[in-house]
Amino acid sequence: MLKGSNIHKSFGDLEVLKGIDLEVAPSEVVVLVGVSGSGKSTLLRCFNFLERINKGTIEIDGQVIDPKKHKLSEIRAEVGMVFQHFNLFPHMTVLENVIEAPIIVKKMKKADAIVLGKQLLEKVGLSDKADVYPSKLSGGQKQRVAIARSLAMEPKVLLFDEPTSALDPELVGEVLAVMQQLAQEGMTMVVVTHEMKFAKEVADRVIMLDEGRIIESADPATFFENPSHERTKQFIQLVD
Amino acid sequence: MELIQTVFEVFLRTYPGFLEATLTTLKITAVALVLGTVLGLIFALMKISRSKILQTIANLYITIIRGTPLIVQIMFLYFGITSLIVLSGFWAGAIALGIHNGAYIAEIFRGAIQGIDKGQREASSSLGMTRSQSMRRIVFPQALKRSIPPLGNQFIITLKDSSLVYIISVPELFAMANREAAQSFQSLETYLVVGAYYLVLVMIFTYLLKLYENKLNVDK
Ligand SMILES: Nc1ncnc2c1ncn2[C@@H]1O[C@H](COP(=O)(O)OP(=O)(O)OP(=O)(O)O)[C@@H](O)[C@H]1O
Ligand SMILES: [Mg+2]
Repeated sequence: MLKGSNIHKSFGDLEVLKGIDLEVAPSEVVVLVGVSGSGKSTLLRCFNFLERINKGTIEIDGQVIDPKKHKLSEIRAEVGMVFQHFNLFPHMTVLENVIEAPIIVKKMKKADAIVLGKQLLEKVGLSDKADVYPSKLSGGQKQRVAIARSLAMEPKVLLFDEPTSALDPELVGEVLAVMQQLAQEGMTMVVVTHEMKFAKEVADRVIMLDEGRIIESADPATFFENPSHERTKQFIQLVD
Repeated sequence: MELIQTVFEVFLRTYPGFLEATLTTLKITAVALVLGTVLGLIFALMKISRSKILQTIANLYITIIRGTPLIVQIMFLYFGITSLIVLSGFWAGAIALGIHNGAYIAEIFRGAIQGIDKGQREASSSLGMTRSQSMRRIVFPQALKRSIPPLGNQFIITLKDSSLVYIISVPELFAMANREAAQSFQSLETYLVVGAYYLVLVMIFTYLLKLYENKLNVDK
């Protein structure tokens, strides 16, 4: 589904990703953890081609993506991304946020897009908010709209970069619930999060990133009960 | 007290001519603003484009216009261009004001566009929008809204700056005032009256702008 091989990424002299190999199977939910600065966001952004990798390859559905040959906008439409700070479009209503990309990018008919948009808003529990502007929503509601907006492009993979980190604690649950539901429906997901409960309950695999390398990759039970790397043990203690 | 009376007399005597001159001032301002906005948009786009050549052209324009006095630009256009093509004082003045404004409006647009959170462009890219789609649909509408207060400010400056075209004998407010003052020897009164005309115009404009801004805030 999504495969990165030997991914290297530097910002100037700073080497942030030092050879990442990661393959995500269809319907798999991978949770990515690691201390601040370990390169989690950078890795997600590389998978979404918001950053150009310096070395290595990224494959989607078995096809190696070459930024010089492929139209990146077309690739990005297949890899959805949910951001920490939502990044909703403030000048559009909730429904307009959701149907914008299908109409503009996929050239979907507006009437069809509205039907799809309403379905998705219902899925994330926000049917009643279709016509309000994002500024009127709580953080949890904003993030659920952002998820619906990504889903509207019917991506093959959905990347989440700390989707609940900017939320008040009491709003985290509603967003995680939507993500859990997506996982159950078979969505392929890569999730950067500090919500260890989510990792334990929803992830198929937990991966620990440390200084730009993957040092641990295991099913949640093994990852949390019996990690092989000392740094992983420290990290688990730290977040517990 | 006497002053108030003579000012009032001057007002009554001059208002037919001054109202006509006000119309000319408004017309020249309107043309300058339309031209300035179009130029401003073009040069702002050039400045944020990825082409070095376009960037350089835009920078050159902005530097030259902002680095030289408006009155020099007006004289240059009127006497410089009229040696090549025939241009009335009105059009020479309006075009000079428009070109002058374009440089400032370009900076207003550029600032507003670059002030839009990077996350907006990233979100639209991640949804598969191309750079131009994301500009057109996501960045510009937000930037335009943010440009309105500084644009309003620029419009007010233009209205007042239009008085400089008196130098090429456009019969606008200030030119009329000069003529009136010279003929009547009532300089004090005349300039007070003409100042009031500008003040009232600016206040009306400020009020309209406020209404518009409030409407935008309600919409959002
Ligand atoms: N655009 C950039 N330019 C320069 N350095 C960057 C850039 N983006 C990230 N970095 C650096 O790369 C390193 C990894 O950043 P990244 O955001 O991927 O970490 P992270 O694991 O997501 O951390 P956090 O948990 O704080 O979000 C950091 O040292 C960061 O300062
Ligand atoms: Mg991060």
